[in-house]
Amino acid sequence: MSVATTNDTMPAPAASPSAKKARRTPAPQSSFAPWKDPNATPIVRFENVTKRFGSFVAVNNISLDIYEREFFALLGPSGCGKTTLLRMLAGFEKPTEGRIIVNGKDVTDLMPYERDAVNMMFQSYALFPHMSVERNIGFGLRQEGMPAADIDARVDEAMGMLELKQFAKRKPHQLSGGQQQRVALARAIAKKPRIMLLDEPLGALDKRLRQTAQFELMHIQESTGTTFIIVTHDQEEAMTVSSRIAVMDHGELVQVSTPGEIYETPQSQYVASFIGDVNILECRVSNVLPDGQLELNWVDGTGKFVAQPPPSGATKDQQVWLALRPEKVRIGLDRPATDVNAIPGKVENIGYLGSISHYHVAVGNDESVTALRANASLAVDNTINWENDVWLDWPADAGVVLIR
Amino acid sequence: MRRWIVIGIPYFWLLVLFLIPFLIVFKISLSDTASAMPPYTPVLDFANLRAFFAGLDFENYGFIFSDPLYTNAYWASLKIAFISTLLTLIIAYPVAYGMARAPKQWQPLLVMFVILPFWTSFLIRVYAWIGILKKEGLLNLFLSNFGIDPLTIHNTVYAVYIGIVYSYLPFMILPLYASLEKLNPALLEAAQDLGSPPWKTFWQVTFPLSIPGVMAGCFLVFIPAMGEFVIPDLLGGSDTLMIGKTLWSEFFSNRDWPLASAVAVILLFMLVIPIVLFQRNQQNQREAAR
Repeated sequence: MSVATTNDTMPAPAASPSAKKARRTPAPQSSFAPWKDPNATPIVRFENVTKRFGSFVAVNNISLDIYEREFFALLGPSGCGKTTLLRMLAGFEKPTEGRIIVNGKDVTDLMPYERDAVNMMFQSYALFPHMSVERNIGFGLRQEGMPAADIDARVDEAMGMLELKQFAKRKPHQLSGGQQQRVALARAIAKKPRIMLLDEPLGALDKRLRQTAQFELMHIQESTGTTFIIVTHDQEEAMTVSSRIAVMDHGELVQVSTPGEIYETPQSQYVASFIGDVNILECRVSNVLPDGQLELNWVDGTGKFVAQPPPSGATKDQQVWLALRPEKVRIGLDRPATDVNAIPGKVENIGYLGSISHYHVAVGNDESVTALRANASLAVDNTINWENDVWLDWPADAGVVLIR
Repeated sequence: MRRWIVIGIPYFWLLVLFLIPFLIVFKISLSDTASAMPPYTPVLDFANLRAFFAGLDFENYGFIFSDPLYTNAYWASLKIAFISTLLTLIIAYPVAYGMARAPKQWQPLLVMFVILPFWTSFLIRVYAWIGILKKEGLLNLFLSNFGIDPLTIHNTVYAVYIGIVYSYLPFMILPLYASLEKLNPALLEAAQDLGSPPWKTFWQVTFPLSIPGVMAGCFLVFIPAMGEFVIPDLLGGSDTLMIGKTLWSEFFSNRDWPLASAVAVILLFMLVIPIVLFQRNQQNQREAAR
């Protein structure tokens, strides 16, 4: 990787403050993208993995690489196969076809207790009700036959990290939900696995607690350098915590990208509408311009749009969908200078949220487009009202052309 | 007022059906035997209470503790009850475990199979075992096909073990099943994930969490097995000494009601300890479930 090599070759006299500064840039966070490096070896590799339960296909021929120190999210609605994928990695389910490679070793046929590199935090926490908090956290270490003094030290460290020391002697049923969640995390982290699996780890917490816990998870992931793989159906959670997201549907990977790419350049209507709000306009390609841009004819109304082509390209007369995020659609009373990427409409509804307002605008043949506007000043531009005739417009690079 | 009725009914029930009969038995145990109707003296005579109380003494208890026949019978009963409880537990645990792990839709059917024997009279089922275990019985008939010499099981203590284990098995299986069925399968997965192979997981997670069921089952078998009369009488023959049988022969063969009553009172006090333990176990379980 280019960033790493530059740093390594740089002469670094430790005393010089300027050299120190040079070492710090660029920030390691922004440069962390091992999935773009063809030489990087993944820590987890799914090779054409299929899992069938009877005639039901839970996971359909998935190949996926996950790299060390990643915070990887498997996102999708319930029943999409994300939990099955995670359970196959933990060893609770055997793939019907395909192989799973962890740390360069084929673990497909290993039992869960033989997979040292992987530990799981369960959705129900699965704390042992007959053991105290410290006995729960030390359980995994006792299985390894570790000396008692070392176990105590590791348990103490894990309890310190998750602020559980004052609960050491309590039984799980004497703890609150948030405390139980932290014990479950501490129990898995005490094993110091290379890879942590988290199955809807925050699903049982209320919203405020969940946000705190998300940052706690990220903090632990960074400070321990563990690879985290999280299963969630909460798109906001996936966006917040992860380095990459795999969006799943019906046992298949729909898109694997960074949160930013998933949001800005979704590859299908499914991904676009699963993450965030989106306006989707059905179109037909009327022309491919010489510079590669597409000229689109709106199907449900009169309008001519210009947009960047999808990575796979598009041909004339092809059916496509233009995805527009509400915050990228400008709303105004005056007709814009150009007819391209501009459509007229009537305000149906206004959702005032304080800092921003949602405008639901009726356009074309019974379609609706949402535009978002920041309420930046008190008086100006506050003139758009219900039933107003308005114009919506957007720049050519705002929309994403989807072919499915 | 209504509260007192609600609370009073069970206490009245206990008073009439437990405490008064017990006091009568206790009083008889302090009396002396007599060839009369009823076969003991003194009979309660309100006109002469002083003479009535003067006629009571602990002589029968002294006799029981001095005669090794009785102490041996108590010890033998304790031993047989203890060993049969252990055997029942060993047989019932895998059965209950299998039931709890069976597919959910089968479980009611499996529970019904366990209770099914209760539809036939207990006595008939014990008689059936005579047919199986006796010298020319089904078991020996079956074994003779393989050239094995007939076994002598009927009229030995082994037949008593078989009879007790068979009869009380459902009382062990059902509480075990109830506690195993509640076990969250995610706990077993968590243990495996943390590096514990299945056999260790059983001893570290499954068994400790099933202890309330184990305790309940053991008490439900041990307490009635201790005073068992029918099984040792029909299957154990004259070799087997159990306190229930001794009690029966004192009452009906010797017609020594005072001595038999003393035997019964001592048996009751021996069983009070496990009964109290059992009730405490049930109470703990109820509190843990809260």
